[in-house]
Amino acid sequence: MPIDAELLASALRALTPILLAALGGALCQRAGVFNISLEGMMLVGCFSAVTGSWFTGSAWLGVLVAVAATTAFSLVLAVGSVSLKADAIVLGVAMNLLAVGLTAFLLRTVFGVQGAFSDPELKGLGAVGLPGLDDVPYVGDVLGGQSPLVYLSWVAVAVAAVFLSRHAWGLRLRGVGERPDAALSLGVSVTKYQYAAVLASGTLCGLAGAQLALGNVTLFSENMTSGRGWIAVVAVMLGRAAPVGVLLAALLFGIVEALGFRLQGQGLPQQAADAAPYLVTLVALFLSTARRRARRASAPADEHAAPQPASLG
Amino acid sequence: MSSSPRRLRSLVTLAVGLGVLATGCNASATKEPAADAPGRSFVLITPNPVGTNPFLKLSVQGIEAAGIEQGGSTKVLQSNDPTTITQNVTAATQQKPDVIVAVGFQFNDAFAQAAERNPRQQFVLVDSCTTKLYRNVTCAVFREHEGIFLAGAEAGLLTKSNKVGAVVALDTPQFHRFSDPFGEGAKKVNPEITFTDLFVGGQNPFADPARAKEQANALTAKGVDVVMGAAAAGNPGIFDAAKGGKFTAWGVDTNQCPSAPGVVVDNVVKRTDVVIRNTIDGVLKGKMGLTRSFGLAEDGVALTGLLGDVANSKCLIAKSPSVITKVQELRQQIVTGTLKIDDPAAK
Repeated sequence: MPIDAELLASALRALTPILLAALGGALCQRAGVFNISLEGMMLVGCFSAVTGSWFTGSAWLGVLVAVAATTAFSLVLAVGSVSLKADAIVLGVAMNLLAVGLTAFLLRTVFGVQGAFSDPELKGLGAVGLPGLDDVPYVGDVLGGQSPLVYLSWVAVAVAAVFLSRHAWGLRLRGVGERPDAALSLGVSVTKYQYAAVLASGTLCGLAGAQLALGNVTLFSENMTSGRGWIAVVAVMLGRAAPVGVLLAALLFGIVEALGFRLQGQGLPQQAADAAPYLVTLVALFLSTARRRARRASAPADEHAAPQPASLG
Repeated sequence: MSSSPRRLRSLVTLAVGLGVLATGCNASATKEPAADAPGRSFVLITPNPVGTNPFLKLSVQGIEAAGIEQGGSTKVLQSNDPTTITQNVTAATQQKPDVIVAVGFQFNDAFAQAAERNPRQQFVLVDSCTTKLYRNVTCAVFREHEGIFLAGAEAGLLTKSNKVGAVVALDTPQFHRFSDPFGEGAKKVNPEITFTDLFVGGQNPFADPARAKEQANALTAKGVDVVMGAAAAGNPGIFDAAKGGKFTAWGVDTNQCPSAPGVVVDNVVKRTDVVIRNTIDGVLKGKMGLTRSFGLAEDGVALTGLLGDVANSKCLIAKSPSVITKVQELRQQIVTGTLKIDDPAAK
């Protein structure tokens, strides 16, 4: 089966919402807040993006509305888990359930429909042309026709990577997550950094939702995130909350999904194609832990290896 | 310590009392109008909220039409999940209407239990059937494959690449009714055809437009230029992909052309309204406890393009009258029985 441009373009589209949400999840993880409400936040982002675009007539204002609404929604997690010290998992589960019900309810009250809202007049993000690049064969086919948020997601990966490894705020954020007491003793406000991380994850999930509802498609349907937020949670773990790691994990999911559709066309049963992303996750988790174990085991083993023969001899 | 069991007991008494009151109210509420107006009464239970679900909206129209036809009152109970389905079935049997109608496979178990407990109550199950047959359950099922075959014939006549595809919600025998006959119909009119079907699947197979869209794109990457869309709420995603100009699409259940002007060729519509009206009429005339199937001949299944109002349907097929004529001939052959369409669900 040929790996054609359309396959890679499809993988890119599948990867972008997951990547944006997972970056938010990674920031929270680094700040010591386990954020499993990515799915719900993304769904709120989808709905508010469509609402914003519909009432303003501009997809970009839709993106802004999505970012604002989802950041506001993430306050629930910030206030609950950081200020009130509630369990982030319980809060996350509640937020995911709330998002499904809330968006379905608002779909009925705002648009007067149930199930799905789509209209030929609804403005989507559309494709952005890259001058010079669109004419390059193959590359142009993959990158052309992608929404601007796709490129933004790559920029976000780079910014997050530099921020976490170079910038003072990023380093403090990591300190807050790893040793909150030590951070506090140095005068770093744990609360402030955790709030910032959770709100940033809200912003990123808003972008993820906007990409899914106005970029990948141009419509809203109930529960349209369909588990993509959960895949993002897994991508955070698989990428060990490092921006580049998260990118690679999300890329893996995107490619597996796009490839699954193609393999179905070649006769692979749909049920097997469905299981593929989860199977790949399991394999990747096994391989990465096995490698880490091997490395950890080999490091002290080297130190012990030298005295061992001596003691024998 | 001693007060808590006592308080519990009084709470239970209160709850039981309220329950008795509530059921008492219910009983009087259903009997009174029956005493005033001796007309018939019908209840429709839907598996999901009706909202804009076109299939369920047609069902509501059907029960209302039956109410007018039989001179009776109608009531619609909407469910959200398996729990509310059971509650609604129980509530409906307590009201003792002439016929209780429900739409969808979600009612298979609930109706089987209710039919055993209420042997004198008539039930009609549309678009599915209980596994065991009951004397008081009448099933009405569709022969969708006949309509899908005709849609496939249209696709076979309209394709330029001779590659035909389908995006369907799930890879199960029931849903192969929406894919296999499409390919067969295309091959019937054009032997050069190759057919590919993809299934949405995933966590949300009936409402994942993004996945449905990617699959439609995967089909066009293979050169497919006509696509059957049977992905339920994922269909808008397929039409969204069609706006890229690489293929045209077919819709199901109702006329989906106005939702995406310029990309939908035709629809295979399931006339639940016709089916509910006819089945209720049959039950009242004594045709009960059997499975009735509705296809092209009974007008239970039809193509938008073959209905009278095709000019105002906003469907692309309106521009191809020669295709309509050819498909009309095929329809006639199926109706008269000279052309038999295999049912993938019966395999």
